[in-house]
Amino acid sequence: MVSSESVNAGSPYEGNGTIGDTVFGDDNALLTELGAQLVAGSLTDDVLLAETDRHPTIQILPAANVVKIGGQSFIDRGRSAMFPLVEEIKKNLPDHKMILGTGAGTRARHAYSVGSDLGMPTGVLSVLGTFVSMQNARMLHYLLADEGIPFIEPVQFPQLPLFLSERQAVVFFGMPPYTFWQPNPAVGRIPPHRTDTGSYLIAEVFGARSMIYVKDEDGLYSADPKKDKSAKFIPQATVEEIEAMDLDDVVVERSVLELMKHAKSCRSVQVINGLKPGNLTRALNGEHVGTIISS
Amino acid sequence: MTEPSNDGRHHVRSGLMRESLLDKAVMAGTEGPTVAMLPDCHVVKVGGGSIIDGGRATTYPIVDAIGKALETQKLILGTGGGVRTRHVFSIGLDLGMPTGVLAQLSIADALGNAHILGTLLSPYGVVAIPPEIFGHLLPLFMQAAPGVIFNGDPPFSLWEHPSHIGKIPKHRTDAGSFLLAECFGVKTVTLLKDVDGLYAADPKKEPGAEFIPEITASELEERNLATLPFDRVIIDLLKSARQLTQIQIVNGLKPDLLAPALAGEHVGTILRKG
Repeated sequence: MVSSESVNAGSPYEGNGTIGDTVFGDDNALLTELGAQLVAGSLTDDVLLAETDRHPTIQILPAANVVKIGGQSFIDRGRSAMFPLVEEIKKNLPDHKMILGTGAGTRARHAYSVGSDLGMPTGVLSVLGTFVSMQNARMLHYLLADEGIPFIEPVQFPQLPLFLSERQAVVFFGMPPYTFWQPNPAVGRIPPHRTDTGSYLIAEVFGARSMIYVKDEDGLYSADPKKDKSAKFIPQATVEEIEAMDLDDVVVERSVLELMKHAKSCRSVQVINGLKPGNLTRALNGEHVGTIISS
Repeated sequence: MTEPSNDGRHHVRSGLMRESLLDKAVMAGTEGPTVAMLPDCHVVKVGGGSIIDGGRATTYPIVDAIGKALETQKLILGTGGGVRTRHVFSIGLDLGMPTGVLAQLSIADALGNAHILGTLLSPYGVVAIPPEIFGHLLPLFMQAAPGVIFNGDPPFSLWEHPSHIGKIPKHRTDAGSFLLAECFGVKTVTLLKDVDGLYAADPKKEPGAEFIPEITASELEERNLATLPFDRVIIDLLKSARQLTQIQIVNGLKPDLLAPALAGEHVGTILRKG
């Protein structure tokens, strides 16, 4: 048992060196010098944190492509948009592994609108958004069911590599599973991390080959092209350039742009118009068919 | 209820219909008062490395103080992962694991400590709740029991954000406890550590370091201190808080401070929104 004396002698800041020494004494040597520093040091110390970049991150699923299908922009259009895309996904199964995420769309907007009026906090709106993106994932799943493609919830992600290996694709709901822990936005109360972000983070953590956003516009414009016909198409931009433009509206969640700046693996995403047949195939083949955003 | 689709989409009529949720003006329109779900409950985060890893000497006294507080207060207790989390980070980093995997791994350590605390608080009817049901059933638990325990981690797991520097997950157990408290609109948030509060430098390395009894998030950001006794992301989270206006860092090795902290007294460092 640890004596109170050794405890009180330790670093007052969390990550108590003395306690660490007690747990990992001479008989329990740590694997690395960094390990010793991590046990004894503060995880708020920038110098120590920089040391954790010493080894490169492994690419867990380097052959997989994360494809996010828009909610309002795509699934809400029904069969006219979805059936051709589903056929295109099926055609690509022999050549490409796909982790298919779904957006939420107009029902989430309804829930966010009513929820805001009723004073729901951001975390509760996040739960509501998750339910809608799950509905869309279930529908996409049934459209792909005859290919043997499963729908997986976050708790089933350990099976993802097996399913990709066996069936080439999985469907998941795009919302990150933050639920009540969803951080507040700076302005308003709509969850800042939604389905674009949840899909992006899967591409980042698994070291995926590509992150493709399937929407109903050719990519990024200088304004919302649905409202402003003079909006200019931007085929390629860096995160910094987009930030400098200070656009009122952007084609992917701002949180994706912010996260890309610090990404270890996924430093480029492409937004494509899935209403144009062949675009998804070309994007999966690595071609530039929409807007490529990079950091 | 559904709108005729003049843009090829099928909309449900609502205040946000057809709107881009990425539009700044649309976002501002959703601001307004927020319902406080648990306004009489308190969130208390019990440090892993700072308290529980110290074993009986550091944990039993604070457990006694928590037990006493439970007679009059409703407590939501979060736990840290402590030294086991540091160890799994070090092995994981050596093996090249990405940030999201490190976050996923660390949940197990805090959960282990939640079960340790739950064992000690069992006589009070306070136990560790499985993370899968914790958030959704929390108000029910708070009616049924004097308190609950959860692993302080937010459920970010594989979906943890890339860090600004290095690979250590930025939303750890302090941040998870904070986010939960903010969403449920609790009365107070107390982080129990093994120091009296915030110092201008790590007081272990610089014994004469200036104690900071009170500071705002903006001031703390500006000071850019080399180390903090809590997750740095708390500064950002507090700045965008809608319900919480402050948190307090309190020395959990001085168990007598818990009761006044819950009563809103200033016994450690108060970090204010602003």
